[in-house]
Amino acid sequence: MSRSSVARPLTPRPLASRVTAALVAAVALTSCGFVNTDDERSAGAVTAYVNTEQNTGLAPLVEAYRQATGAGVDVSSANTDELNQQIRVQLTSGTAADVIRVSPGYSSPVAAGVLGAEGQIADLSDAEWAGQLSPDTRALAGVGGRVMALPVARNAIVMAYNRDVFANAGLTPPTTWSQLLTACRTLRDAGVTPIAAPFQGGIYLQYWVYALAATLVYAPQPDIDAQMAAGATSFSTDARWNEVFARFAELNESGCFSDGMLGLPPDQGQQSVATGGSAMLLTVSGGLPALHGYHEAGAQAFDVFALPATDDTTQTHVPVAPDFLAVNAAAKDPAAARAFLDFLARPENVAAYANAMGVLPGLAVDVEIDSTVLTPVLPYVEEGRTTAYANYLWPNGDVQQTLLQSGQEWLHGAIDTATLLGRMDADYAKGTP
Amino acid sequence: MTATLQRPRPGGRLAVPSGRRAGRGRAVPLGLIAPALLFYAVVVLYPTVAGGLYAFTDWTGRAGAPDVVGLGNFAELLSSPPARAALANTLVIAVCTTVVQTVVGLALALALHSRLASRHVLRTLFFAPALLPPVIIGFLWQYVLTPEGPLNGALAAAGLDGLAGNWLGDSALALWAVIAVIIWQNAGLTMVIYLAGLQGVPAELLEAAEIDGASRWQRLRHVTLPMLLPATTIATSLTLIGSLKLFDQVYVMTGGGPGYATETLSVVMYEEAFVSGRYGYSAAIALVLTMIVFALALVQMWGLRRYEVQP
Repeated sequence: MSRSSVARPLTPRPLASRVTAALVAAVALTSCGFVNTDDERSAGAVTAYVNTEQNTGLAPLVEAYRQATGAGVDVSSANTDELNQQIRVQLTSGTAADVIRVSPGYSSPVAAGVLGAEGQIADLSDAEWAGQLSPDTRALAGVGGRVMALPVARNAIVMAYNRDVFANAGLTPPTTWSQLLTACRTLRDAGVTPIAAPFQGGIYLQYWVYALAATLVYAPQPDIDAQMAAGATSFSTDARWNEVFARFAELNESGCFSDGMLGLPPDQGQQSVATGGSAMLLTVSGGLPALHGYHEAGAQAFDVFALPATDDTTQTHVPVAPDFLAVNAAAKDPAAARAFLDFLARPENVAAYANAMGVLPGLAVDVEIDSTVLTPVLPYVEEGRTTAYANYLWPNGDVQQTLLQSGQEWLHGAIDTATLLGRMDADYAKGTP
Repeated sequence: MTATLQRPRPGGRLAVPSGRRAGRGRAVPLGLIAPALLFYAVVVLYPTVAGGLYAFTDWTGRAGAPDVVGLGNFAELLSSPPARAALANTLVIAVCTTVVQTVVGLALALALHSRLASRHVLRTLFFAPALLPPVIIGFLWQYVLTPEGPLNGALAAAGLDGLAGNWLGDSALALWAVIAVIIWQNAGLTMVIYLAGLQGVPAELLEAAEIDGASRWQRLRHVTLPMLLPATTIATSLTLIGSLKLFDQVYVMTGGGPGYATETLSVVMYEEAFVSGRYGYSAAIALVLTMIVFALALVQMWGLRRYEVQP
């Protein structure tokens, strides 16, 4: 027998119940992040959507901007991959922030050159700081000679090493290719993995190609991309590009890299250098804080050097790439967004950002850099022995994607160098979308 | 409490209200479901149809009308080596996962459909991985399967160094490692479906078979398994559809690599849309994937239902 229930007449809910329900809903939505409170979002403030590294460097400057001008900047952040994926959709749907992070050149669908050509970002050529871009940075900052983005910093690809491991092996930073191979042998004999190679996903794999190409390809042949675009040469037919992969293969065959490198994730590669299991890691300078974070001594436990690719030390070049911010062409208040970028471009703020992040200044201004993290490679920057990351000069992002994936097949021995370069040529030939 | 069901009159029609009352009766339900229908049309139908149409364009996500490329995207899908590798990997994952997961889930269900004292604990343990988000599972196993990870460590500790491998970094192993992780996560779900099916196998049938002298294997082969075919239809359908559109674990564990060794159609679809900005091509992949899922699920359900036995 079931329990009988007495039906109650439907009556309007008391006001108190409705108010309670509304409060609960409001609290729930707010706590879940669906609703911005006044504390979180300043009315009428410039909005910015940047990557996590930029967010760290910008935080004190946003506060300084608020104190100096009384204007707020609401900054949201995501890692670069997610950011690139979302900004494209946001621009199309008209929901993008006023200030956005853009990639250099034509390297992705949200690169300065691509968005500049589409008119999705504002032309900033008349800004005071536009004349302070170094030539290699200017080439990546827009389209048709117009400056469409502010370089808040420049990253370099450097070889980081564990000081204790080097000291225990009696090594000093190698300055030639032969010294690098010798150092690898010495470290291997000492039971240490010479170079951490976290090539799972391919991100760290590409740094090797860019770093070797800086010295072997772009330094002696700065206009090679113009030649490739004109069909005068290609990855496959250019002897220097073939030399890049020959050097890379030589290191691999010499046992310089981690065992099981294609299955090693980036964080474990960094940890292995921090714990002394590996001695070196080729990384972007923006990744150094993460590496330092794995050692209790922090930055003091590590140092960096420029990757040599030949036995002539004067030939060594360092790949350097800017990290850009641009103004959304459909920003609610473009003048306010531009004012914020102008503030960031002041020399003292350029220096503050570089010191906070341990990176190179974005603009070619005379500033005092306190951070010593990149001191060993500063002479290369001052002497102009830098080139852009190769992929930023390529006409589309597919070439890089093929390098990441087919490069893993090449390292595994599944394809030869000619096949890899042929695939990159095929993507290069697609041109800029 | 009892309930009385009134049979409809043989050959008779359902009694329906007539006249103005009938018209009002139809209007009220229509009025009630209209908001839901509108919401469904805007949120599901329109994007689905629009996505299908974009598959025939070169849309890159930019504002403005894209150019129509006809069947160009589909031709590229069939001729591109990475896409063909992804298609092959997707089918391998679907077949292996469906077969092995069904067998493992059935075996677990049969083993735990018993008077074993720890059966409830074991059921919970085997089902627990299915409750975790696939992304978390992916990150956990990515760590476990690294060259210096716990799995190789355990093998070395057991003196089985020879079995240690570069599970996610070796093209020959990576796809099988991913398949093993998917089966590990979802076998418990299949087990639960079979346990529910086993509850519906009449005990008197098994008793009758036993009295007739049927062995345990014969009772399983000729009584239990035929009675479990409806559960098999559900389990294999869910597994097949889930594995054909597999994304999370692959993207987290390998990103489709090394090379293209674990690339699936869903991963390629995602990369083409959100990394390369080729939304039209990505929509074409989605359309092909949808048709594959639909066709295989239809064939599978048709094939299995022919043999289903109702208790």
